[in-house]
Amino acid sequence: MITAIRRHALPGRSAGVLAVLALGAALAFPAVASTYYIRLATGIFMFGVLASGWNLIGGYTGYPDFGAAAFLGIGAYTTGILMVRAHAPFAAALLAGGVLSIVTALGIGVVLLRLRGHYFAIATLGFMIVLRQLAANLELTGGGSGINLPGASTFTGFYYWMLAALALAVAAGIALPRSRVGYAVAAIRENQDAAQVLGIAPLRYKVLVYAASAFFFGIVGGIYAYWFTFIDPPTVFNVDFTIQAAVMTLFGGPGTALGPLAGAVVLKSLDTVLTNISVFLHNVFFGALVCLLVIFAPRGLAEIVRGGASIAETIREQLRESRI
Amino acid sequence: MNAAAQIALQNAVNGLLVGGTYATVAVGFSLVWGVLNVVNLAHGALVMLGAYVTYWLFTLYHVDPLLALPAAGAALFALGYPLQRVVINQVIRASFLITFLLTFGLDLLITNLALAAWTADIRSVTTPYSGGSIALGPVTVPIVRLAALLTAIFVAALLHLMMTRTRLGSAIRATASDQEAARLMGIPIAHIYALTFAIAAATAGIAGGLISLSFPVFPAMGPGYTLVAFVTCVLGGLGSVPGAFLGGLILGLVQMYAASWLGPNYDNIVAFTVLILVLLVRPAGLLGRGYRFRG
Repeated sequence: MITAIRRHALPGRSAGVLAVLALGAALAFPAVASTYYIRLATGIFMFGVLASGWNLIGGYTGYPDFGAAAFLGIGAYTTGILMVRAHAPFAAALLAGGVLSIVTALGIGVVLLRLRGHYFAIATLGFMIVLRQLAANLELTGGGSGINLPGASTFTGFYYWMLAALALAVAAGIALPRSRVGYAVAAIRENQDAAQVLGIAPLRYKVLVYAASAFFFGIVGGIYAYWFTFIDPPTVFNVDFTIQAAVMTLFGGPGTALGPLAGAVVLKSLDTVLTNISVFLHNVFFGALVCLLVIFAPRGLAEIVRGGASIAETIREQLRESRI
Repeated sequence: MNAAAQIALQNAVNGLLVGGTYATVAVGFSLVWGVLNVVNLAHGALVMLGAYVTYWLFTLYHVDPLLALPAAGAALFALGYPLQRVVINQVIRASFLITFLLTFGLDLLITNLALAAWTADIRSVTTPYSGGSIALGPVTVPIVRLAALLTAIFVAALLHLMMTRTRLGSAIRATASDQEAARLMGIPIAHIYALTFAIAAATAGIAGGLISLSFPVFPAMGPGYTLVAFVTCVLGGLGSVPGAFLGGLILGLVQMYAASWLGPNYDNIVAFTVLILVLLVRPAGLLGRGYRFRG
């Protein structure tokens, strides 16, 4: 894993051209596609943002945040409350949700990011469950009956909001490993004690990246709330969002800039096909997929495809390493 | 005795009674975490399966739920062994994120299969003695909860004796403290891991049976009990049966008092607050070091 700390060269010109082409195609897509496919793409973008955001803390930093949906909920509720109770415009409410996610992450992160391993994972999960119960009990959040938002006049807006969030999330994934913070969290991921000896104060960097990750979940929550026009505690404070983001990241390659997006595109497309067949199949499939993925490709599909050896050999090798 | 003191006393009794059930949920979770270094997110799902075994034996064959407990334990033991041997052993040496996700996937699978087989209906086990209670001076003790506490003590004592007094217990503790050395001593590691998980699953099954006596039974009941198990382990200190038991009783008490002051809808918030406080102030658990499965 030490090889993971390598100098990240700036993307070449061809990569830049490809990015511009992809962005252009994405911008033009709603003009040519039917509503069904625009909705589908918006859903894929949404999970692309979640996975890319989760990757910042779970992949680059090595702190798997199992309560990331807490920030999706904060973003959704902030947007919902401001739009319904204060009649704020969507853009302002969305921004407020993102900012509140950051502020909350800075506060709770100072406590949670002192914990490591299992303790961090379960404490973050607990944090999300706490917020869910708070939202179900408070009057401001509408309690268990949730909040109904005003409907938007056109759907295409959500597509562009989600696309903008995605562009930002992918940019963050590209920029982080090339920044001072990125070097710090890579050192923390590989060996926190050694990093500390080198003069890196781990907590500050971890909290910073945690807040960035929280921002993307908050933004998605805000867009989600206006898109679905109804939110209640179990739908937004939902551990499934976190796990899907984690699995997509793992699938595409944690700690890479484009891996999480690739994971989101593949898995969300597959998932859509299966959901169309049956919802039951979709849930069982997702559980089975998680199991198979971590057993046979614990370091992501990218690792398997990229490896020099044959695919079967790489899988066998990984199995030998982790089984008893 | 005035009314306030009586309520406080009744809360203490209720808390201890529920705490016994929490302890039974937690001992297996603690065993798997301590020995296998796996935080088993599917533990709650195993509890759920145990509750359904008890429910169906009672509903279809009129088997008394307390007599059905060994059956629930045996069924979960039979499920737990291959689950560990065939599935979880494959990733046992991978990073904790991998085992965490794997057990989450198992939880999803088990829960959704249960949902498909038995629907989302909320069920309950109501025996002729379900409503009965014993008056002990100023407090009343519900019979089913008292039976649950006694069973919990019995299970914990049995597990503790097994871990400390038997060859199997020695082998499990040896494996937990140094896997390589244990292997060199001729201990079949893969088999010991599977047995450990199976024993933990059996206690989860029994816990499910106890829960079915006084709480609702439904496919999605698992995650709440997984959180209970986790908080209980952290409270009592990881990898110790007495610790898990004490942790269960404390969590039961804290939740019961919190419920009477704040209302019943704050149980998770209370549990989490306790968790964070203990992790920050006394991360080794309240008991500190009892005997440990791991160093």
